[in-house]
Amino acid sequence: MTRFVANTITFPYKRSLGPVVGAFMTAMTERRILGIRNGDQVLVPPMEWDPATGAELAHEFVEVGPAGTVTSWTWVPSPSEQHPLDHPFAFALIQLDGATTPLLHAVDAGSPETLTEGARVAPRWRGTRLGRIDDIVCFVPGETPEVEGVDTGPAGEPVARMDYLASITYRNPVPDATDRATEASKEHRLLGLRCPTCGRVYAGGRGYCPIDAIELGPDCEVDLPHTGTITNYAIVTPVQYPGQTETEPFVRAFVLLDGTDVIVPYSAVIELPADEMRVGVRVAAVWASPAEEIDEGGGMGGAWGALVGWIPSGEPDVNDPDLVNRIF
Amino acid sequence: MSLGGAGRGGDIAVVGWAHTPLVRHTDKSETQMLMDAISDALDPLGLTRADIDFTCLGSCDYITGQAFSFVSNLDAIGAWPPKRDSHVEMDGAWALYEAWLRLQEGDIEIAVVTGSGRSSTGDPSLIYPMEMDPYFLAPLGADPLTFAALQARAVIKAGIADERKMAEVAVRARGKGDVDALLTEEYMRQPLRRHDVPPITDGAAAMVLTTGDRARQLVDRPAYITGFDHRTECHNPSFRALDDSPSTRLAAEAAGLGDGPVEIAELQAAFTHEELLLARVLGLGGDVAVNPSGGALRANPIMATGLCRIGYAANHIRDGGHRALAHSTSGPCLQQNLVCILEDTP
Repeated sequence: MTRFVANTITFPYKRSLGPVVGAFMTAMTERRILGIRNGDQVLVPPMEWDPATGAELAHEFVEVGPAGTVTSWTWVPSPSEQHPLDHPFAFALIQLDGATTPLLHAVDAGSPETLTEGARVAPRWRGTRLGRIDDIVCFVPGETPEVEGVDTGPAGEPVARMDYLASITYRNPVPDATDRATEASKEHRLLGLRCPTCGRVYAGGRGYCPIDAIELGPDCEVDLPHTGTITNYAIVTPVQYPGQTETEPFVRAFVLLDGTDVIVPYSAVIELPADEMRVGVRVAAVWASPAEEIDEGGGMGGAWGALVGWIPSGEPDVNDPDLVNRIF
Repeated sequence: MSLGGAGRGGDIAVVGWAHTPLVRHTDKSETQMLMDAISDALDPLGLTRADIDFTCLGSCDYITGQAFSFVSNLDAIGAWPPKRDSHVEMDGAWALYEAWLRLQEGDIEIAVVTGSGRSSTGDPSLIYPMEMDPYFLAPLGADPLTFAALQARAVIKAGIADERKMAEVAVRARGKGDVDALLTEEYMRQPLRRHDVPPITDGAAAMVLTTGDRARQLVDRPAYITGFDHRTECHNPSFRALDDSPSTRLAAEAAGLGDGPVEIAELQAAFTHEELLLARVLGLGGDVAVNPSGGALRANPIMATGLCRIGYAANHIRDGGHRALAHSTSGPCLQQNLVCILEDTP
């Protein structure tokens, strides 16, 4: 039975807005909605370019709405976590007064029976507005805009950037070969798979030969040595993005295992400061004790399991100018 | 070899293709699916991975949930010694378009293209809003079902579809169900019911494309690509006439659809109303069999759905047909459309 693992990935985008979208978002904080003139048309939301020809538009903004007319709609009986409202609502195309194109937004209409094409709606503004399309919580039936909560007023300066954060949970199968390699690591074994066709050996729980494109099962397993030589490395200066736990520069090294062609990539190296890192250093595997093990394994993650990384063995460096080319 | 006008290629043909089981949920990784599909496409031709001159893979990181997921997918093509390779973050139909262009350079003979996706990995209603306009649509969680419903309403209002015709499309595509019974079901997004909506499908497809001389050595009846074009429209559906698909019409004109009749049309219509709209825009008469494969309503392996349409059209040529149309699409409300014409003679 294949095991599945769930990973939640967040996407924290920071987007610069530019002169047209930025003007729209700044006006949103003032409870005003802007379109842009394109010949006889007024485009809402405003575009930087003519949607048909791609010609750049002059920054001639036109205030529209705030009320408008529903030109089309659909009912959302079960909102998602990303939707503007947590109870059933309509997504509608709303032609704001003075605009020639419709804006997509939510309408808090109670039930689908009460909504018709041609219905008049007006915005329900958020009390605190950041310069985002969802500064309008939703539209409501009628001609009169509303404000939700206390109105904290417009932005102090033009809005130039907006944050967007999505969070998606993925469930992916874990190959059997990965699980077998992880289990072996708990016994401090470094498991490899030898391709019966080409003879190449792979570590890291990859369950197939990428050269011959065949699956490698348990009958292909071999034990790999626990010593090797650093062939290449990078010193990573951590950038503080969400989820980053490192704060100081750290090394990721590639280790060629003795007597094999196997490279263990992206390895942690302990007890060797970053400024003493060099090609040719002889290293030995370091394993986590059962007490040190964490859910993700010994620190390298994935099929490496209890392998924490590598430690200098004290042997003399290997002096081979070709070593540096070995990263695969 | 000569190049024709816009969208008319040289002497290049589809000689084989294969797809994995198209299922609601697979235990295989995308790479493993591709390994199977590529082997199954090559083996009947007596070709191996070493014979491939160029590969182009179509897949989507957002669906996989992994940055640069196409890098691990390269393990399926046997890229040693190194190969000429490309990737499109699009359906495999666009990978085929790139390979078709590449073969026209004339210096190589055999290309393999793939499309692959595991839609079961995440929730499509949460993933796809991230691919929408990031300023005005994504922050609202504007999902594909909502856009499809708004387009369905426009298509119905224009008299091109109605809820009964849409249910008839679903029954024909899936080969099961009763129209009257289906019309009593609840709406998922008015006017769409569950039968109007595609299944969630995992799957991968691989296709082998060769220049003409090699094609005739490999198979009895190559499916020659005699026209190929794709066009796109504005990203925001608000700015489009949702009861029309001008990009489909333009692509079909450029690909030479009007040069002669087609016997079948494989359309990437994930929603029932899309099939009715596309058939109208393409001017398909009652004598054209639309989606004899069952189409995307029967199996929708996203990123491979369009490539499968071209595959089924190629099967029609292999099995004795003369001319077939295949279509693929990308983006909300049929934003971008691709048309490929396949024939039994170059």
